[in-house]
Amino acid sequence: MPKLVTTWLLPLAILVLPGCDHDASSIGHVESVWGRQGISDGRFQTPRAIAIDHDDQLYIVDKTARIQVFKTDGTFLREWSTPDHANGKPTGLSFDRDGNLMVADTHYFQVLVYSPQGKLLRTLGGKPGKKPGEFGFVTGTAQDSQGNVYISEYGEYDRIQKFTPDGHFLLQWGGHGSAPGQFARPQKIVFDADDHLWVTDAGNHRIQVFDTAGKLLKSWGVQGSKPGELYYPYDIVLAPHDTLYICEYGNHRIQKFTRGGRSLGCWGYQGRGEGELFNPWGVVRDSQGRLYVLDTGNNRVQCVRDE
Amino acid sequence: MTHMSSLHFFVIRHSSFTFSSPSYLAILLLLPVLWWYSYRRLAGLGKIRRWLALLFRTLVIVLLVAAAADMQIVRSNDHLTVLYLLDQSLSIPEEKRTAMIEYVRDEVHAHRHDKDRAGVIVFGRDAAIELPPFDDDLQMGSSIESLFDPQATNIAAAMKLAQATFPENAARRIVLVTDGNQNQGNALEQAQVVAAAGVGMDVVAIRYHTRAEVAVERVILPSEVRLNQPFDLRVVLSSNCDHKPGDTGEVPGRLIVTKIVDDQPIDRTEQRVTLPPGKKVFNLRQTIDSANFYTYEAKFVPDRPEDDAMPQNNRATAFTHVAGKGQVLLIVSQERPNEYNLLAERLRQHGLEVVVRGTDRLFSSLAELQIFDTIVLANVPRVTSDEVSFSDEQIDMLVRNTQQMGAGLVMLGGAESFGAGGWTGTELEKAMPVDFQIHNAEVAPRGALVLLMHASEIAQGNGIQKQIAKEAIKTLSGQDYCGVMQWNGNEQWIYSQRPVEIAQYRNKLLAAVDRMVPGDMPDFEPAMLLAEQGFAELQNKQQVAVKHMIVLSDGDPGAPQAATINRLRAMGVTISTVAVNAHGTSESQNLAKLASDGNGKYYSVNNPSKALPRIFQKEARRVSRPILYDPHSSFPVKQVSEHPMMSGIRELPPIQGYVLTSKKENPLVETVLLATKPGGEENTTILAGWNYGLGRAVAFTTDAGLRWTPDWSGSAAGDKLFAQIVRWSMRPSGGSGNLAATFEPLEGKMRVVVTALDDKNEFLNFLTMTGTAVGPDLKKPLGLGIEQTAPGRYVGTFPMHEAGSYFVTINPGRGMAPLRTGVNVPYSDEFRDREANDALLAQLAAVQPKDGPLGQLIENPDATGKLLEFNTFRHDLPKAGSSQEAWHWLILMASCVFLGDVFIRRVQVHFAWLPLQLVRMRDFILRRQPTPALPQYIERLKSRKAEVTEYLEQLRAAARFELPTQAPVDLKPIDELERVPHAASEPRTTEPSPAEAEAGKEEETYTERLLKAKKKAWEERP
Repeated sequence: MPKLVTTWLLPLAILVLPGCDHDASSIGHVESVWGRQGISDGRFQTPRAIAIDHDDQLYIVDKTARIQVFKTDGTFLREWSTPDHANGKPTGLSFDRDGNLMVADTHYFQVLVYSPQGKLLRTLGGKPGKKPGEFGFVTGTAQDSQGNVYISEYGEYDRIQKFTPDGHFLLQWGGHGSAPGQFARPQKIVFDADDHLWVTDAGNHRIQVFDTAGKLLKSWGVQGSKPGELYYPYDIVLAPHDTLYICEYGNHRIQKFTRGGRSLGCWGYQGRGEGELFNPWGVVRDSQGRLYVLDTGNNRVQCVRDE
Repeated sequence: MTHMSSLHFFVIRHSSFTFSSPSYLAILLLLPVLWWYSYRRLAGLGKIRRWLALLFRTLVIVLLVAAAADMQIVRSNDHLTVLYLLDQSLSIPEEKRTAMIEYVRDEVHAHRHDKDRAGVIVFGRDAAIELPPFDDDLQMGSSIESLFDPQATNIAAAMKLAQATFPENAARRIVLVTDGNQNQGNALEQAQVVAAAGVGMDVVAIRYHTRAEVAVERVILPSEVRLNQPFDLRVVLSSNCDHKPGDTGEVPGRLIVTKIVDDQPIDRTEQRVTLPPGKKVFNLRQTIDSANFYTYEAKFVPDRPEDDAMPQNNRATAFTHVAGKGQVLLIVSQERPNEYNLLAERLRQHGLEVVVRGTDRLFSSLAELQIFDTIVLANVPRVTSDEVSFSDEQIDMLVRNTQQMGAGLVMLGGAESFGAGGWTGTELEKAMPVDFQIHNAEVAPRGALVLLMHASEIAQGNGIQKQIAKEAIKTLSGQDYCGVMQWNGNEQWIYSQRPVEIAQYRNKLLAAVDRMVPGDMPDFEPAMLLAEQGFAELQNKQQVAVKHMIVLSDGDPGAPQAATINRLRAMGVTISTVAVNAHGTSESQNLAKLASDGNGKYYSVNNPSKALPRIFQKEARRVSRPILYDPHSSFPVKQVSEHPMMSGIRELPPIQGYVLTSKKENPLVETVLLATKPGGEENTTILAGWNYGLGRAVAFTTDAGLRWTPDWSGSAAGDKLFAQIVRWSMRPSGGSGNLAATFEPLEGKMRVVVTALDDKNEFLNFLTMTGTAVGPDLKKPLGLGIEQTAPGRYVGTFPMHEAGSYFVTINPGRGMAPLRTGVNVPYSDEFRDREANDALLAQLAAVQPKDGPLGQLIENPDATGKLLEFNTFRHDLPKAGSSQEAWHWLILMASCVFLGDVFIRRVQVHFAWLPLQLVRMRDFILRRQPTPALPQYIERLKSRKAEVTEYLEQLRAAARFELPTQAPVDLKPIDELERVPHAASEPRTTEPSPAEAEAGKEEETYTERLLKAKKKAWEERP
């Protein structure tokens, strides 16, 4: 009997009772879950950044400093490692306009640019410091419609630097703090179609939007765990119909917003089971509208269909 | 498949069931009887219900019988677990040991199937799990991480550990990678045990070519060496070179003998020698001209390196002690090297030889301490700086030197001593006559320490964090508070919701540290807020004098808000930060700024495993500072007992402070002096001493002529007291007669032979001789039982497991001074083997596992890559199965089926209600007016009701004793009745008219009839 209780009734109660609250505002359902802890091909050791290319191939970097490439169904395709990773591992991935992978090599204060096949094409930065062209912990990169490159960083100087396509410094803005326009760990930056730069200001639990000159256009988000509130937003995906998805590291969930900051619902909550997340770092969206959530603490990827 | 005592049935792939007590199944033979009996009894149920009831009854019986037969569900699988046992003992050349790791890594990658697991156990003298079984490629570097002793080979221990490590639900194979040169345990015996459990075994033979070898076997010194008397030092060398035809096999080289005092070579002689095959002894004449402890090292250097495969065994040592007058080692802090020069000078004036040494030049072996009769720790902390501290081994040496070698140990007070010096919880505290912790909060205010752990990015970060958190927690006093924070999903305390009192929760906190899994902390701000809240709660609840926070990080998280730090500072919280492997400038500057803003200290550490524990011990001491009693005014001390240390001293000058301690509850403790402030006796000990093992330990909690005792400087009473403290604590001296000890290694043991003569060279008999030996690890004393075997001859043995110095103290009893001596075991047995043990390797591979095929003997000495041609993940071993008892499920099912049986027999299910419900549902869905109840149905109901009522009435009528009421009783004379016999026997057939019947029905209800009968009964009452 005790086994009956522990095997069936208790999990059922655990799933059913609290599930009511979480499901009430859920915006999606799980289509597939893949990946597990390990160091062999296709497994993860605390994966911390994810990006998707035009062919719907997923690029994931973990704490072994491997960048692994997968199909959307989790089929492993290839992998390579960053050249040096004893000090720390990359924490940001994104694609430039040429389809090359830009890797935020955080603890080496640089950005590595790879071809999709893993050939190192060039390196930006590499020198720690506060001067133009020097970096703290690099977190993310983005490219505007003119090809200019923007690099976010945190540490002593939380800022965003702007460079020409050939790497010349143009301008910088930000600084550590919570005032409008300042940052506390700007974890992810991404451009929308209007060349507006969306920044997940993780430590300030808000989203800030700038133009290409660094002028603050809007800012929204407050710290909290209720719908509409944010707790360590680490990643952002801009979606059609003026919506966006935010991956909340601290709230263990994906939250959908209008671009004005009105919450449209959440998906996920803290846990280890399917449909549950533990400190997710990233989210991307494929051409079919499916979301791929990098469930870092559970060493896996969950594919979610937005309802 | 039938076993002797159980039945086994396969059901589906990988699953089957078995019965542990199959004899109960015979009960099932009675089933036909049940069917025959029940079939007749259940005839009234109709055909379907009868068969159903029969089926259910049968099921109940079958389930109960299966439960009685103890049915087990067995699940088997095709998974395989392979454990690689890597022999990492020193007999195997280093390049081969490294190649083993590569082989295992490649083999697992090449042959492991998806669900198969692989693990690694390394072994030498003992075995350790390097990687537990895991279903993935092995993540191994080029070196071994586990701690084990490589100075011996114990294959059996590794097999035993492997057997205990295998998970149950998979087939099991051991792959033993070894040269087979075991010198401990019995591998073959253990292999048979393992094979009997169904574990397969492959053996990978590690071979090396037969090697030429030269060794220094022993260095022999006379048992007694006297000052300025020449003696012979004998060096035994052996050569095992295989000489070819035409070659003499001689090995030319140099024999170098070095005389060492205090770890410093003071003399060196070198001579050319030629070693013939076999053993050769060289004699060297030596002289010693001053009292001390001397170590002689002999080393052979061959001219041709190819003549010697193992240079490790080319060196051997021996030591001897030449006794002089009493010597004192005064250990002072390297930061204040001259602090106790005056005390040293005064002790010298009292006839003692004093050596002053700073904490930066501490002893490294127990041998170094042997020339000293007392060690004095003069206000030295456990950790002096980030780089200098007493290691656990050194503390252990100090304690063993007193406990087992009989030396004295004196601890002088000061702001860096006792509990304030971070000595709480150490072995030294156990040796002292006082405890260093204060349990009375009124005497010593409390401190609070919060540890913020975040070092996830560094290699081995979690292990290091646990180690240092434990060190810090152990350093705190019982009255202090401590909390540890981490990020695990969110910012959180690892135990409770706030800092907890150490006295009550130390062990729970340590256990929580063991379970700690710190994750990536995004920034420090929420953790700082949590710490602020924790400190605030403490402040409200308890008076906390010192509040300190230590942040350990790789510099990854974002900085906290300045306002938060300001609030913490306003509460009196200090913050120190430790940057671990924080390369570059950004992260270290962040943490440095945090420490600067928090009025704490910033540390940058690039060798975490060594430096971090010291830093945390030192930082944790900030919290323990309140145990200094320093009122800035003088107060006297009082003598509470007579003691040789106070002999001839009438009065001592007043003191101004001391370190609070707690009196040890032990009758051996002799408390001599107490402070008169702050009062009581529990925590005010100034001077106490006791016998600790063979030696004596003294605690003197105020300082010696410094800040707290300025009036003692130059005071005759003070000088005398210090001299008498030191003299009382010193090793016993005096005549030990003519005791001489010799040593002889004997099958893993060391045999000690003591010859005892008196001053007239007569045998000393019937001595109650005891002895203690301490091995090179200095941890556990080795048993040394000594018995007399002949006149004046006493013999004992102690186990000898490893190479190094063994110190032996022999106490002859009868008030004689102990004999201190020792023996040196030059090198491990591992360096005696010259080739692999082929016979054992073949025997191990030939042990047949139960129900499985023989293992492989894998060998290819020249190419590791070719070893991969052998697949160690062969799925040819018996499948593993796990069984689970099913009787409780069977009982549950039988209960349910039994209910079904009862239901079938007692309840007749009909479905007449169904059409009506369907009609109603149809009307509801089509929104029609409900159809009135079918008249036929109502009529049927009424008619049925009438039938039932009539039937009931008949029953009642038959059951009661009342006369008919419709007509009066027709009383006739008896003769008339006899004349009309038929009329009397026929029933009365008077039919009431319909109207009367109706009226009768209305009037004569059951109650009315009852009333009438009652009335009539009253009337007929006599």
